[in-house]
Amino acid sequence: MKEDVYVIGVGMHPFQRIAPPLRDMAYTAGKAALDDAGIKFKDVGALYNGYLGANMLEGISFAKDFGLTNVPITHVENASATGSCAFREAVGQIEAGRCEIAMALGFDDMMKMGMDMMKMMSGADPKIENIILPAGFFAMWATRRMHEYGTTEETFAKIAAKNWNHARYNTMAQRQSAHEVTAEEVLASRQIAYPHTSKMACAAGGGAACAIVATKAIAEKLANGRPLVKVIGSQSKSEHYTNGHIFMGAVVGPSELTTVTTKALYEESGIGPDDVSLVHVHDAFPIEELMYYELMGLCDEGEGDRLVAEGATSIGGRIPFSTDGGLTARGHPGGPTGLAQIWDATQQLRGESGKRQVEGATNAMVHMMGAGSICIMHMLQRAG
Amino acid sequence: MSNKKPLEEGYFVIHEDGTPALLGSYSKAADQHYFPVRKQCPITEEPVETVELPTEGELYSWTYIYMPMMGATQMGAAGHGVGQIDLPNGVRVQASITGEKGDWEIGMKMKLDLQPIIKKGDTELCTFCFSPA
Repeated sequence: MKEDVYVIGVGMHPFQRIAPPLRDMAYTAGKAALDDAGIKFKDVGALYNGYLGANMLEGISFAKDFGLTNVPITHVENASATGSCAFREAVGQIEAGRCEIAMALGFDDMMKMGMDMMKMMSGADPKIENIILPAGFFAMWATRRMHEYGTTEETFAKIAAKNWNHARYNTMAQRQSAHEVTAEEVLASRQIAYPHTSKMACAAGGGAACAIVATKAIAEKLANGRPLVKVIGSQSKSEHYTNGHIFMGAVVGPSELTTVTTKALYEESGIGPDDVSLVHVHDAFPIEELMYYELMGLCDEGEGDRLVAEGATSIGGRIPFSTDGGLTARGHPGGPTGLAQIWDATQQLRGESGKRQVEGATNAMVHMMGAGSICIMHMLQRAG
Repeated sequence: MSNKKPLEEGYFVIHEDGTPALLGSYSKAADQHYFPVRKQCPITEEPVETVELPTEGELYSWTYIYMPMMGATQMGAAGHGVGQIDLPNGVRVQASITGEKGDWEIGMKMKLDLQPIIKKGDTELCTFCFSPA
């Protein structure tokens, strides 16, 4: 029998360009989530650690900082979707009735991983598959979009500026501007890969995030007057062959992957695009967020630019995206990124997001891509 | 004899006359070509044969990356182009493209070329790239 699943606790260590040791950040995020849930680590029935760049067995080692409890510990990795994958595995444990409380903990430092990548690419043993930098893949997607629909650099800049400004009120965000960021400022920043500039690129850094899920009985017992947050959909898919399929150095996968996963999520959760209150996506560059407006069915094909022009995807708009700043400004350390989305979505549904609050938030959709080849999505719902 | 060799085996060959050709897979069951070489057809799971792919195609998209290709080995260059090229058999290939920003237009004809990456003695180890035809 499939058990209902609820998010009972979330916690983060701030995402930062220069980050403290992984062990410290993992403990901070995990302890914050345990405190948020009002439980002890001994209550946790399964722990999933999500990381890409930590050393072998570090997840097991870090767990000892919480306690020695016989809890089963599993390391998961799915590129950028690692944290989302850890969350999904924790959800699956509750659904299957294997435990009553499960914890997903993500930690990473992309700056250290980035240095390793640069060494690999500039070293004495370069590989053909590594020749194109990730920024190049997203930029080619953007150039094609401009060719097909007349999308302008200004549209990309507006999306990025919107996310920078959402992050101004997120104390966990890596990029917290002291002033309102304008599209002109984004356009004037350093060029990375045409048409993208440095202020459009996701913020690479370190950080940690954690989410704890439980059965309905546990969630109700621990609610303490707060609204419950129910996981009403969990989907994970890998790619399917499509025309023009690229096998080498994917990073940006087939657009169809997000469409197929979103449809399955809508079907599972029983709600449609008109019912979604806010969305988190893998917005490594603004071309992604723009495309996902359409691929998720939140507007018609080719209409994404209009959504941006109308401010529909800003907080206060019809369908706010990246309400914590997204990968652009909250940051993208790797393993914790998908769990940071859960952190914000949960707080939004509880009504705890302060100046970032989406009024009346009822359903939050979260989406992450892993190497362009894995798509993991969840739908969370305010459940009273 | 060419003094150019592939940086890695399995992606392309360099013929006696110095011209390169990408190596891909053909699935008779699906009537589809793939790049790079597949172990089996990803659609039908039937066997595939290794074939040389067409050396010309059309530019599907492009970008200019504002840093040198391959890091230190290409230091001195301001940046480099990258493109997606659609071959006539339906294969889309991602590769570096020669030229400067402003040289490329979506839909233009491109041809396969060689891009030296490292020199070892008298031999240049190359990857593949595309140039405007």
